[in-house]
Amino acid sequence: MSIIYVLIPLAIIIVAIAIAIFFWAVKSNQFDDLDRQGYSILYDDDLPPEEKKLAEERKKLNE
Amino acid sequence: MTQTEHCYHCGEKNNPQQVYTTCVLGEPRPMCCPGCQAVAQAIVDNGLEDYYRFRTAPAAKGDDALLSTMAKLAVYDEPALQEEFVVDDGDEKQIELTLEGITCAACGWLIEKQLSKVKGIRQVSVNVAQRRAFVTWLPAQLSLSQIMETLHRIGYPALPFQPDQHEASYKKENKQFLKKLGLAGIMTMQVMMLAAALYFDWLGNMAAETRTYFHWVALTLTTPVVFYSGSTFYLGAMKALSAKTVNMDVPVSIAIFGTYMAGIKATLLQQGEVYFESICMFIFLLLLSRYLEHRSRHKAAEISANMMQYIPVTATKVTRNGEQQQVLAKSLQTDDVVSIKAGETVPIDGIVIAGKSTIDESMLTGEFKPAKKIVGDRVYGGTVNQNSTITVKVTNTLKNALVNQIIRLQSKAMASKPRVAQLADKLASIFVFAVLLIAASTFLIWHWLGNEQAFWITISVLVATCPCALGLATPSALTCAMAYLNRRGVLLKRADALEQLSQVDTVIFDKTGTLTEGVFAISQIWLAANAKEDHVLAIMASLEALSEHPIAGAFTHNTTLPVSDFTVHSGEGITGIINGDVYRVGTANYACLGKPPTLPKANVFISCNGHYLAGFQVADKIKDDAQCLVNGFSDKHRILLSGDIQENVSQVAQRLGINEAVGGNTPKQKYAFVLQRQQAGNRIMMLGDGINDAPVLAAADIAVAVGNATDVAKSAADVILLGDKMAAIPELFKLAKRVNMTIKQNMAWALGYNILVLPFAVSGVLTPWMAVIGMSLSSIIVVTNSTKLLK
Repeated sequence: MSIIYVLIPLAIIIVAIAIAIFFWAVKSNQFDDLDRQGYSILYDDDLPPEEKKLAEERKKLNE
Repeated sequence: MTQTEHCYHCGEKNNPQQVYTTCVLGEPRPMCCPGCQAVAQAIVDNGLEDYYRFRTAPAAKGDDALLSTMAKLAVYDEPALQEEFVVDDGDEKQIELTLEGITCAACGWLIEKQLSKVKGIRQVSVNVAQRRAFVTWLPAQLSLSQIMETLHRIGYPALPFQPDQHEASYKKENKQFLKKLGLAGIMTMQVMMLAAALYFDWLGNMAAETRTYFHWVALTLTTPVVFYSGSTFYLGAMKALSAKTVNMDVPVSIAIFGTYMAGIKATLLQQGEVYFESICMFIFLLLLSRYLEHRSRHKAAEISANMMQYIPVTATKVTRNGEQQQVLAKSLQTDDVVSIKAGETVPIDGIVIAGKSTIDESMLTGEFKPAKKIVGDRVYGGTVNQNSTITVKVTNTLKNALVNQIIRLQSKAMASKPRVAQLADKLASIFVFAVLLIAASTFLIWHWLGNEQAFWITISVLVATCPCALGLATPSALTCAMAYLNRRGVLLKRADALEQLSQVDTVIFDKTGTLTEGVFAISQIWLAANAKEDHVLAIMASLEALSEHPIAGAFTHNTTLPVSDFTVHSGEGITGIINGDVYRVGTANYACLGKPPTLPKANVFISCNGHYLAGFQVADKIKDDAQCLVNGFSDKHRILLSGDIQENVSQVAQRLGINEAVGGNTPKQKYAFVLQRQQAGNRIMMLGDGINDAPVLAAADIAVAVGNATDVAKSAADVILLGDKMAAIPELFKLAKRVNMTIKQNMAWALGYNILVLPFAVSGVLTPWMAVIGMSLSSIIVVTNSTKLLK
């Protein structure tokens, strides 16, 4: 059981990091608008042009 | 909705004669106007067609007058103007813009993509819910007007926005709440995990040192929750105590600190109970209810704050040597000379020194009859010049302009508005006294009896009687009611307005713009035996087409006959010859030469060669749903309050069945009228729309801004109708009744539970952790009851 003497402090450190990230997110206005970010995944604007073309063809096939 | 009948961009009906097209997503799409076409083309050209694929609502209609609007944006580059709303951060500048035309989340994406491509933009973030964008840019490479132009080009007209102080402090508080809540939530999970291990050690396998270790860990994790997340309650308690009262925060603070100190003691001495997880959960749940309350009170205020856009009025100043120059209205000094073109807004108060025109002063007076202005007449800032260019000498600086005086009167009225003491607050202070008393006597009695558990029993009493559910009773019901109303196009700016609605006994209506359209129309026609309606109307339309009298607009006909020898007798009527017959139109005595027929309701008559032909009742056109609205208030005293002359006001009141009609009032008199009624003990609901209604709206107990109201009226109102459906207002009363009912149920349950559980806590049956769980369940039941209002 002595492993808990290592694991629990480790868990506390991770929790501390999580809280720090959460505070940073609140500070940088990320909780202001909860409607919009959910849509970001739908846009293929992060794909290079060739892949985007392929993605569009696939979409057409599915229609 | 078929593809070709409606505009692909904004969803409005296309004109079949003239369809504009743009190629979007590989197909030609029909557009209703060049504005939409230009916007769609700009979106496609920038490779942002994905917008059309993922949007969930059609866009706002494009602006036809795109180029002329954009030319005016240059004024926003003035450093003097930017000072007020741009944050200068060394090389970078930051601004918050309110955006029109945001309809769904895809718009946010479109704006961010479009702007981030522009050189010189550092950061863009769009808040769809608030319809605002936060932009950081490098002024060395880009000007503010260029940013606004880019936004305008893709169909989102933007204006600088400056949150008022109230909203800024709300935002700060909101972030504080989120942080405290997040910390408490995450820590509660951790501490709960440790507590579960301790609680479920039924067989006693856990070594004593592991126990101590767990206690220390839990203590470490609980400490930030107690000192950071819980600080809300201690501050509240201290504030109350320094004001020599008690509030709910006092027993809460005692319970938290008592449990925490006892926990530390137990951990140090390695004996006794610890309840760290109960502290965390207690703080978390209480904070949650506070946060809900905070949000419900401010959500609507946030939306309506957008209406307070910062619109600087520009003016064309004429310099000494005759040059014309665009300046900001607020930089104008008295005795400056400005030129105002037809269609422009008068920037400032002044006296006409050249030219003549008619001016639409409806935004100030509420009356639609345009005022004729010649040299020497006064004009007022905010009104609209209709016909021709006039030159005006400035008499008041913008700060002292009439429109600003009205706005000041409004803020004064808002500040002195009577606030209704909240039922919960009254209950709470009595309740808290009782709790403290019971807790203290519980401790003393158990201690006197020699029970070692006296302290924990006292803590249980404090937690079990915690007014958490009581605190949630009102805000949760109000939040649900507001969500319900939002879906029906009614925006509640002040949630507690619903609580006050049930006390309203008097309803005051504004006339023009609220109940009437502000346009004259024929409401009834009486014909002489030998007259034909169509023929009479054709003659009337031909004659009135030459008249400038406001009621002339009521007469229209598709055939116009030639009129000769047309003369106007001011204040009486007009005469003209058509096909050799002499027609006289006007008052009964003028038209019928002293022998008028008895038609008490008619106010316009026509005669042919001296013989009575027809009588008309011409009146301000009443809105379609006005009657329905007025009928909805049949159990209340109804008053029509207007700046129009008494006669017209009485007439409209009579037609709609309104009990009392008061006319001829200036904004100040209207305000005084409402105050006087309030002093007489009436609870007043006021419906209005214009700038002239703003002070009286601010003074009323409940103020409703009717559809298309001016921004000033909206900012003064408690309830804003987003659509044009006024019939929703009586429904508001029904909902208010349901809300009050729900609040009472919630309170009854919350108090009932607390009283029920008290004997168990006092007798020591209930341990602190049971008390916390019971309290949570009670809160959940209250919230569930409130959600019934959503349906």
